[in-house]
Amino acid sequence: MRCSYGLTAIPGTDARFFSPETSFLQLRRTFQPTRIKFGLFKIKAKIDEARKEMSFYELLGISERGTSLEIKQAYKQLARKYHPDVSPPDRVEEYTERFIRVQEAYETLSDPRRRALYDKDLALGIHLAFSARRRYQYDEDLEDRSEWKNRWQSQLSELKRRSRNRDAGGNMSWGARMRRQREELSKEL
Amino acid sequence: MALCASSFPAIINWGAASDPKKSTPFASHFLGGSDLVLQPLKKLNQVKKRPGGVYASLSEGAEYHSQRPATPLLDTINYPIHMKNLSVKELKQLSEELRSDVIFNVSKTGGHLGSSLGVVELTVALHYVFNAPRDKILWDVGHQSYPHKILTGRRHKMHTMRQTNGLAGFTKRSESEYDCFGTGHSSTTISAGLGMAVGRDLKGERNHVVAVIGDGAMTAGQAYEAMNNAGYLDSDMIVILNDNKQVSLPTANLDGPTPPVGALSSALSRLQSNRPLRELREVAKGVTKQIGGPMHELAAKVDEYARGMISGSGSTLFEELGLYYIGPVDGHNIDDLVSILKEVKTTKTTGPVLIHVVTEKGRGYPYAERAADKYHGVVKFDPATGKQFKGNSATQSYTTYFAEALIAEAEADKNIVAIHAAMGGGTGLNLFLRRFPQRCFDVGIAEQHAVTFAAGLACEGLKPFCAIYSSFMQRAYDQVVHDVDLQKLPVRFAMDRAGLVGADGPTHCGAFDVTFMACLPNMVVMAPSDEAELFHMVATAAAIDDRPSCFRYPRGNGIGVQLPPGKKGVPLEVGKGRVLIEGERVALLGYGSAVQSCLAAASLLESHGLRLTVADARFCKPLDHALIRKLAKSHEVLITVEEGSIGGFGSHVAQFLALDGLLDGKVKWRPLVLPDRYIDHGSPVDQLAEAGLTPSHIAATVFNVLEQKREAFEVMSSRN
Repeated sequence: MRCSYGLTAIPGTDARFFSPETSFLQLRRTFQPTRIKFGLFKIKAKIDEARKEMSFYELLGISERGTSLEIKQAYKQLARKYHPDVSPPDRVEEYTERFIRVQEAYETLSDPRRRALYDKDLALGIHLAFSARRRYQYDEDLEDRSEWKNRWQSQLSELKRRSRNRDAGGNMSWGARMRRQREELSKEL
Repeated sequence: MALCASSFPAIINWGAASDPKKSTPFASHFLGGSDLVLQPLKKLNQVKKRPGGVYASLSEGAEYHSQRPATPLLDTINYPIHMKNLSVKELKQLSEELRSDVIFNVSKTGGHLGSSLGVVELTVALHYVFNAPRDKILWDVGHQSYPHKILTGRRHKMHTMRQTNGLAGFTKRSESEYDCFGTGHSSTTISAGLGMAVGRDLKGERNHVVAVIGDGAMTAGQAYEAMNNAGYLDSDMIVILNDNKQVSLPTANLDGPTPPVGALSSALSRLQSNRPLRELREVAKGVTKQIGGPMHELAAKVDEYARGMISGSGSTLFEELGLYYIGPVDGHNIDDLVSILKEVKTTKTTGPVLIHVVTEKGRGYPYAERAADKYHGVVKFDPATGKQFKGNSATQSYTTYFAEALIAEAEADKNIVAIHAAMGGGTGLNLFLRRFPQRCFDVGIAEQHAVTFAAGLACEGLKPFCAIYSSFMQRAYDQVVHDVDLQKLPVRFAMDRAGLVGADGPTHCGAFDVTFMACLPNMVVMAPSDEAELFHMVATAAAIDDRPSCFRYPRGNGIGVQLPPGKKGVPLEVGKGRVLIEGERVALLGYGSAVQSCLAAASLLESHGLRLTVADARFCKPLDHALIRKLAKSHEVLITVEEGSIGGFGSHVAQFLALDGLLDGKVKWRPLVLPDRYIDHGSPVDQLAEAGLTPSHIAATVFNVLEQKREAFEVMSSRN
């Protein structure tokens, strides 16, 4: 399937998306970026719904105690099955959507940290797929980041405040004594 | 904007994309590459959300070329001084270019990629704010110093990284004045930095000292010793804790990323994720503002208590040691880094300050970010696909054979346990971990603790195998002597990377282990000459249960001998060597991997009509006295060969020969050891030639002793 199928690249489309010549896809039926792009929102909506139904474990067909090897194998199998380039033409969209979900499942479950978070959420009865979690996490992180900035800004001002009194006569640490000595020497000069 | 900047080269690339060389096997990259399918999704997401948050894990659109990437700004920077007039926006661009330069260079030479990528912004910020070389910047371990080297006048030599006569893979004082301290082993920079700070104070200078240390290196005791001392001395210095949550090497086990080892890392992550009670802080601030004026002390106390209550247990660890804690800081945000560093720099009399910087290992290169080991150490690879060009070898590495041998022993004996110090991949014990998760212990970068921990295990009747590189064993020497050997506890030491190690250079070279192990009264010291012998020696070590034992094996792959059945060795008779070739007149007695060089030398000399005896000593302690006596009495010349320093195998043989009266006879004895100097990094072949231990050198020595100088010269000049 070349670019002519469906919609061609519209001027102003972000040229970062793939052209059919993109070299990293060697499979004969090359991926169709523009189609996916416009079907994107539909798929996302579908995912949002479906998300509410199946947990990642069910999606991959393994038990909740699955080892990472099992997860890997399940993912490989399903990914090969649902990859848009090898899916039957009439069910590309459905398969692609499945593929993306499988992909998300694998990414979450293969990283022990994320898997732990996911398991926790699952236990609480919330099934947040990877990207939703990411958004949630991302917002948390964004908050964290601004917290960080506030924190180190106040730490810096505290540092400045402390440094004013640091070498007062009472401080007998080696460094303070050396610094006083150095100041005196430079004053003499 | 970064997105636009990167789309431009992408378009150019497509023009040439029909070039078949650039097509990459998608199938093999299925797992990694399949997220490329998702890229439109993610990219749209990222367009909406501000990129650069913690999960900007897929870099936006950067294309990786096999040709040198365009780096217009980096091209104008040869030394840090050229950076001083840049704006922060330009610094960001510089970081991107620096990153692609690092990727390009490492793809051509191999080396440490992940760690260097994680500190690109930090390096740029440090060199922008501080004035190296007057200001001292120390890089712990040194494997993340590639961006530093590029910015300090060595960019044009980056293609020689880790090669003979090229740049060292770690910082090295003799290489450049910007490398103020040589590193390679971890956790030394705070100590050295403190030394430099104190030296500066004694001389009355005013430069700055910055020590960059990773969270992994923080698991070593020396870092705490140094911080403790720094807090006490109160000398001005800056410690930058580069925290990327990667504490073990390679930073994963075989099945995926490893959560960091130890209690410390959870403390550090608590620091990061702590949600301070802002309201309480605000109140505290308000109170201090109101008090103000002459009530400095009280206000300070209130603030301190508030901070102590709120910031949790992590920062108070450093505060208690006497370092002022600042952080956490996003280590990929140049704005933040520059402003913090500037502030700290301009504050007089800070005392020791610790800045906790959070980075991501492998950041900026999607394949590295996704890889379980974050591309910590790589061989040459293709930047566009991330595939490494690993050579095909018929045999596996000694490391792998050791792991397999140990697994076989552990299957038979449930008391066998394995200990390593944050080197699961390097020692092969990740394989052991997968098979026996409860019996493999990673103690973090703490060799001293590993040895004494093993001693404790041995007291309880278990059979501990300590797998520590030969050169890292130097760190644990007192523990070996005092805690293991003195009490005759049966701890087994498996010393990988013995002898010369190639690209890593003298910091990782295992030259001294025979010397320092064989001088200990109760230690059994042995070395396999090939992989089958390695299997047998693992079995022998497992069988020696009344005293400590050790064995050393080199870096590299096996030579291809047949492995014992079931991959399980048979214990050897302790203190017995073996004769490989029976000959006359001249005997070569090799120890460890040197035996292979002896065999090669023997075949070289065959063509000259000499039939040498070649023997494998197997044991340095206890020596095979009968074998040595036999060789000394029935041959004119006895040459001992080992890939170790003076004081090792050759010296023990000499001692025995002398005491046994064998030197009073007619035999001419010569030892071949590593020379009395450090051998620089390079290819293993070059290093061996530099050390004078190649088969040609051995053959030439034989000729020299036989007074056949002409043949000696011939054989030396005919080698390639």
